Amino acid sequence: MLLVLNALKYLAYILIFPGFLFSFLVGMLLTGIDRKIVARMQKRVGPPILQPFYDFFKLLGKETIVPDAANRRVFLLAPLVGLAGITVLQLFIPVFHFHVFDNVADVIVILYLLLIPALAEILGAAASGSPYAGVGLSREMVTILAVELPLLLVLLAVAKTVGSAMGRGLVFSLSTIVGYQELHGSLITKLSMIPAAVAFLLIIPGETGSHPFDTAEAETEICEGMMAEYSGAPLGVYKLTHAMKIFTVVSLFVALFLGGIGAGIQNLVAAIGLSGAFAGALSLLLQILVLVLLSIVLTIVCISFVHAITARLRIEQVFKYYWTIVTCFALVSLVMAWYGL
Amino acid sequence: MFKKLIEESTGKSPWLFHINAGSCNGCDIELVAVLTPRYDAERLGFKLAGSPRQADIVVVTGPITAQSLPRVLRTIEQVPEPRCIVTMGSCPQSGNVFRGSYSICGPLSKYVHVDVDVAGCTPKPEAVIDGLALATKILQQKRREMK
Repeated sequence: MLLVLNALKYLAYILIFPGFLFSFLVGMLLTGIDRKIVARMQKRVGPPILQPFYDFFKLLGKETIVPDAANRRVFLLAPLVGLAGITVLQLFIPVFHFHVFDNVADVIVILYLLLIPALAEILGAAASGSPYAGVGLSREMVTILAVELPLLLVLLAVAKTVGSAMGRGLVFSLSTIVGYQELHGSLITKLSMIPAAVAFLLIIPGETGSHPFDTAEAETEICEGMMAEYSGAPLGVYKLTHAMKIFTVVSLFVALFLGGIGAGIQNLVAAIGLSGAFAGALSLLLQILVLVLLSIVLTIVCISFVHAITARLRIEQVFKYYWTIVTCFALVSLVMAWYGL
Repeated sequence: MFKKLIEESTGKSPWLFHINAGSCNGCDIELVAVLTPRYDAERLGFKLAGSPRQADIVVVTGPITAQSLPRVLRTIEQVPEPRCIVTMGSCPQSGNVFRGSYSICGPLSKYVHVDVDVAGCTPKPEAVIDGLALATKILQQKRREMK
């Protein structure tokens, strides 16, 4: 009986909150707001905020063409693998105080899971047998390599800061990192963590493949690159995965650097004088709301603004940018954390 | 359950693919004008797709030269159903000033079913948006008739 209940609970986690349905809705909303903001910055009216939903459901209703040269099974399964990867990843990222996994969830797992959607895209592109997809996937691999190094350094810096404050060496558990921030204030308020936070903000557009770093999907240059042969529902799933990834990466930033806000919300609910299950539900609801609002702000700042004011970089420029400027920010933070600043 | 939603969405997110079949570039510029800030067709969900496989509406400009004919037909075949074909300008409709030339294979309607013709040399952006909106309706109709 307990087993069944537990299974149901985890199923709800995966399918509804914080897994599929929640990140589906928020991710699509973020993409819609992104498109609207970019349009407004270009003095256009812009599509309605619900446009990504229309795009997704339209793509579900389109014919799916599988090219003759493609490996049919891999071509059609790769988008689902990516979607599954991002859904699982969503479970590992705490919504302030709320987390599905307690101690098993650490940032190293997140680092690996974050790769799965990109790898699935590469796999699908390679199976499609299109030369445009070939160019796109080689660029995507370089982008992954470029982003991974500074991301790893940022995570190390965070782990070291929290670890040395708790006297435990390196702390990789995300729930512990958030818990630490609830007691001692958000990490972004620490001097040594500011460069790391800046580095992470610069990583967000690269990780989500948005504008100056969208060399892999250059639609005017290599026919959407990896997506060149995709049509119909698989394309829709890719678009969905992409939207969910924006939310995942942004909420990872919130968990790593702004985790202290959760404590404030709980104190607020306690200050009103509520207690029990109702207060718990209310504070969870408020935390979700704050997370969504923060995600919107971060998406606008890191993705939309950057999208509207920059042109696409060449792939070697992407690589150089991430391995010099962004890595420098992350390294400064790591060194400062190591000396306990 | 999703059928109605898909039908509704088909009318709200038509993606364009533009083929230049020997056009003088006048219509191409005008199509870009439709998508840029002044007319901003993206507010109706129109978006230029990079690959014909992702498109819903194919916009053909130019008088269909002998060189471009097989490529145009092949590209149109690559667009998944439901799809709409819109000709832009007088050239793909009648040949325009190029009519009678040895290198012209048009009109396009000899080879494929054309859903909407937007006449003019070049058509105004308002006319193009009107034609595209009509194509969107036809697209929705085609989706309704699928399966």
